[in-house]
Parts: sequence; structure tokens; C-alpha cells
Amino acid sequence: MTDLFAIAEKDMAITLERDGRPVVVTNPDGLVAPDLRGDVNDISQVIDPETGTAVSGSTVSVSLRISSLQAVYGNDLPIEIKDETLKPWTVSFTDVNGISQLTKVKESNPDLMSGVLTLILEGYEV
Amino acid sequence: MTLIPTLIDKQDNVEIIRDKIALVLATESVSQMALAVIAGKPPADWDLRVFTEDSNNFEQFRGSNVADRSPMLNVWFDTETVNSGASNVSKSQKMEGVFNIDCYGLGVSADDSGGGHILGDKQASFEASRAARLVRNILMSAIYVQLELVGVVGDRMIQSLTSFQPELQSQSKEQVRAVRVALKVGFIEEAPQVSEDNLIEEIKIDVKRDSDGRVLAELLFD
Repeated sequence: MTDLFAIAEKDMAITLERDGRPVVVTNPDGLVAPDLRGDVNDISQVIDPETGTAVSGSTVSVSLRISSLQAVYGNDLPIEIKDETLKPWTVSFTDVNGISQLTKVKESNPDLMSGVLTLILEGYEV
Repeated sequence: MTLIPTLIDKQDNVEIIRDKIALVLATESVSQMALAVIAGKPPADWDLRVFTEDSNNFEQFRGSNVADRSPMLNVWFDTETVNSGASNVSKSQKMEGVFNIDCYGLGVSADDSGGGHILGDKQASFEASRAARLVRNILMSAIYVQLELVGVVGDRMIQSLTSFQPELQSQSKEQVRAVRVALKVGFIEEAPQVSEDNLIEEIKIDVKRDSDGRVLAELLFD
């Protein structure tokens, strides 16, 4: 029986990674996954669903193929690190104008059945 | 035929009070910064940027290189109700107004030299709380019982402090948190009277503003 999920996961090598933007993921120990590609979004002006009004802000997210992350980090997928004595998971990428963006993982939303990890990111300074 | 012979060319007291609250906060913030210097403390910790009726002023916290990260205040008029029992139907009305002072704090996650990192969301909450603390202490200082508007303002009282997140959930690139200080003010409101003899004495307030709407304080220090 054909496993459509498995086919879709393999297709991500094209749909998510070949056509995606390069991103650099670094774990709290400094281990870098340099050759990842994913779908990066940076959306300004968010609509508050409760009031329907636009509120100022921008939401940055990146969708990555879980199997590519596992090849570097095993099952230790990016999450928000609340312990201030540790470094956070960081994600860097360049926007469409070539400006480098450094972010940290704010929220991790893995979809283990489709094999996609969507990370919500926030600005980070070094 | 019209019955009001005079031009209604004045600010209502509710507007004057709103601007006065902003002016008091801007002025006392500058004064506190000067006192901090004398006390050998970093004056930036007492810096408040004050705006009025500016619902989206934390827009200035957006971007990667925000130059000024001091907390922002937005002073805005919320509600006004009349105390009918204490009012005069033909001359003046005793009002109770609520003015909100929204205190916005910015936090930016960053590396720290100790090997860990600073959490932006926590820092933003602390900044907003610090601003609200200054606002509450300034406005509840005994010297501002009548907000320096003697004859107009009867009293003022902090009604509530409520923290909130101005941005959608916590998913924003910039971490901004806020505390709303609700200030209840009892005051008199008047309207033009039929007889010229009863015309109210005009009160005005001049607020100097920066080009971005920030309320500017003027203080002389020795």
C-alpha cells in the first residue's frame, strides 16, 4: 500500500528544500546545520482575530524538513530555550534584499506526520 | 434662530486633563533623570517617552536597530460619566473621567557575556512594569492630587493596573509588553451659558510636541 505521507516527505526535497531559502540553524551547543533550506516568512501587520483590527508587528517563521534537521541533531529538534544560562536555538537567513537576519526560536510547531517543523522566530542580538 | 451668542472656541476640561497628565509625566520623567544623575544612577532607567492619543506608538519599537528603547507611554481618554446628583443642569457638571496610560516596554533577546542569553519577552515585561511603576508613583504623589488644575480637578485615583500584550499572541519578531494604568479623575465640566455674565473663565494648556508627537518637557535645573 502506498504511503502518501512518505511520498510527500520525499517530495519536500524539491518543494521545500530545492526552492526554499538558505537558512543556518545553530543549536545551544553551537552545532551548526549550514546547508538547510526552508520556507521563510516575514509578515508585517498582523490582524488580531479577536477584534479584527490590525496591530503593529511582524511575525517571522521558517518551515524546515524534519528529516534534514534530524540528520544533524538527531531527535533533538529546535525549541525555545527558556534557561537563561544556555544559548538559544538560532536561525539566520538573508531577506530578499540581501540583509542578514538573526533570530532565535520562540516557538516550535512540529508536524511529525507531514515531516515539517515550523518555527516562530524573534529577533536576536549578539 | 440660534441661542448661543458666543463662539465655542475652547478645550473641554477632559482634554486639558489628558494633556496635563501627559505633561506631568514628561516633566517628572526628565526631573527623575536629573535626580538619577545626582544619585549616581543611570538616568536612562527613568526615561519615559510620552504620547497622547497615539494608539500605535509602539510601532517605533519595530525594526532591527531601534535607537531609543526607553518605554513609551500613550495617554488617552477612555470614558467620562456625569454625576447627576452633584451637577447643575444649567451651568457646570461634576464628571468622572477615566484616562488610560498605556506603558509599552520593549525587550530584545540577546547573548549575554556570561554564556547564556537574555529573554526578550521577560525583559519587555520588566520594562513595561518599570514604566507603570514610575507612572503610578508620579500621579499618586500628593502634590498631584488635583493635577495642578485647582478649581477644575477635585481628585484623582489610580483605578487599576492591567498588563496586556499589544501584539498578536507572543509570535511577534519584536517583544513588546504593556501595562495599562487607569486613572480616575473627578472634575468639573462647563459649557457656554446664555448670559455673558456666566461665561466661564478660559483655561488653556500648551503642550510642546516633537515632530513624532512625543510630549516634550521643559525644566530648568540649577
